[in-house]
Amino acid sequence: MIAINQLTFSYRDETFRLRIPVLTLESGRSAVIVGPSGSGKTTFLNLIAGILPSSGGEIRVGHTDVHRLTDNDRRLFRLLNVGQVFQDFQLIDYLNVLDNVLLPCRIHPSVTVTKILRERASLLLQSLEMSSFERRSVTCLSQGERQRVAICRALLLSPQVVLADEPTGNLDPVNAERIVRLLRTETRRSGATLIMVTHDHSLLPQFDQIIPFEQFLERTAADKNDLQVAEGDT
Amino acid sequence: MKNALYLAWKSLLWQRGRSLTILLSLAITIWLPVTVRLVLDQFRREISERANATPLVLGAKGSRIDLALHALYFDTLPPADTNMAEVESIDILSTANAAAYAIPLHVRYRTQSRPGIEGAVIVGTSPEYFEFRRLKVAEGQTISLLGDCVVGSNVATKMQLHPGDSILSAPRNAFNLAGDYPLKMKVVGVMAQSHSPDDDAVFTDVRTTWVIDGIGHGHQELNPQTDSQLLLKNDTGTGSVTANAAVLPYTEITEDNIDSFHFHGEPASFPLTAILIEPETEKSRTQILGRYSSSLATAQCLKPPEVIEELLSIVFRIEQLAWVCSIAAGVVTCLLLGLVVNLSMRLRESEMQTMFRLGCSRTTIAMLHGSEILLLLCSASVLAGVAALLTLQFAASVLRSLLF
Repeated sequence: MIAINQLTFSYRDETFRLRIPVLTLESGRSAVIVGPSGSGKTTFLNLIAGILPSSGGEIRVGHTDVHRLTDNDRRLFRLLNVGQVFQDFQLIDYLNVLDNVLLPCRIHPSVTVTKILRERASLLLQSLEMSSFERRSVTCLSQGERQRVAICRALLLSPQVVLADEPTGNLDPVNAERIVRLLRTETRRSGATLIMVTHDHSLLPQFDQIIPFEQFLERTAADKNDLQVAEGDT
Repeated sequence: MKNALYLAWKSLLWQRGRSLTILLSLAITIWLPVTVRLVLDQFRREISERANATPLVLGAKGSRIDLALHALYFDTLPPADTNMAEVESIDILSTANAAAYAIPLHVRYRTQSRPGIEGAVIVGTSPEYFEFRRLKVAEGQTISLLGDCVVGSNVATKMQLHPGDSILSAPRNAFNLAGDYPLKMKVVGVMAQSHSPDDDAVFTDVRTTWVIDGIGHGHQELNPQTDSQLLLKNDTGTGSVTANAAVLPYTEITEDNIDSFHFHGEPASFPLTAILIEPETEKSRTQILGRYSSSLATAQCLKPPEVIEELLSIVFRIEQLAWVCSIAAGVVTCLLLGLVVNLSMRLRESEMQTMFRLGCSRTTIAMLHGSEILLLLCSASVLAGVAALLTLQFAASVLRSLLF
């Protein structure tokens, strides 16, 4: 479960301020975040993952208040509890498909590659019809195939939360729907909470919860002035 | 660490061109000073070994270095000759409880060159020399008769000589028609390889070199009944005759003419270019050194290890220069390596950002970069080590030929 209470965030130059009074996402459920560009969707995902520090309030993932952790603990927490699928996949070019999926086991001293994890990686690839690509370089894959590898990587350590930032942004409608279905199926199977950011409104019916994000964005004084000038012009 | 090394290895493999360039740059930077050091050490060892195995050298007064180089490596000519009288004086000095052995050396001539093959140095000595230098005959036998010679292994290989073949000495001056004649020597043996200057020499009895020198010779028998055109003087009263230049000396010593060979002059005055002395006791060594330390002494006696050490201290100043150059090259390579690593880190920033977003620890990120450098350094060190050993292996013979 993800519980957010009085969360605030702003960048140093105060041009952007985010305030989320209360937001709760149950385990095993899926939520989709929609909103215009610049409304803080990606920032919100980064706050949940502990990549960005909040200005105030709390974010609880399970029983952990993410922002009370030290930097090192937050990294480990992210590695073990948060699976991430990035818009541009962010696969490592010099590793093959299997090594990319196993990457979370190679980047922290607390997690190591075990036989079980190798088998899990192979199973995940098999479930996404990528078994035959295990030893292939990721640079030889299509967009859809790369996306599937990124999903496998996000699910490898059975995280509590899967954050997907516009994972279908580069895909055609058929593949986009397929990817969302995959993410939904895999997270439901592992009991993880799925939070996905998208601009594609045709995908919304597949999610349990829709969060319009514009409501959480606080306009700064400068923004308000700009808005008034714009209204006066019209 | 294992994971960091694995990822670093994969990354290096992915960027093969860059990795190879850095690897070679590092390897060359390491190889150069290591090889210079090893080669110079080998040079020092080889040149010192022979000097250390030669307790004392006696020769004409003059340059100590020239005399030492001549007696040890048959290189350079001594300032002047010494003579057999010195050998005899060492024998006289030698007593039962302070024995010393003198080995004469007469190294003034070379064999005749062949197309593309330079003539080898002819070393006139006594049979004790072979025992002194622990030289073994690989083929045939050692010298026993006047005119016999044994050839060093390199000479035998280069000139394709075997026992039974013959070899000609080269006159010192081809334009001096009245000078020494070439002597045809019979090859009776080939020495085993000793990795020393002895491999490039032709050994003969010292008396044979005196024959080449013209001090001894053989010719047809002359008596008052000999054709008067061959005689300069014929004293019928005493029966003594003096030959003129028409009587030609034999240019080869054979079983038939060996008895006609004879030497003119006092044996004690026969020339030598150096004398190797092996004192058996400290006492005899001190006695000999004492005798020749006087300014009135007729010759100089030197300790080859000291002379060679003196020479090396001059020669090895170049080592310091080589070190300075190597350090400068190393600094430049390290700076370039730093630049490459820095640029590489910038290029890989998005990759590191991904690692961080996934939860990579700070230590692992540092280890990823460190592992790459470590792998490159280790590989370069191994490569440089192997290259240095190979260089040493192949350079050894070149170095030896330069040395001796």
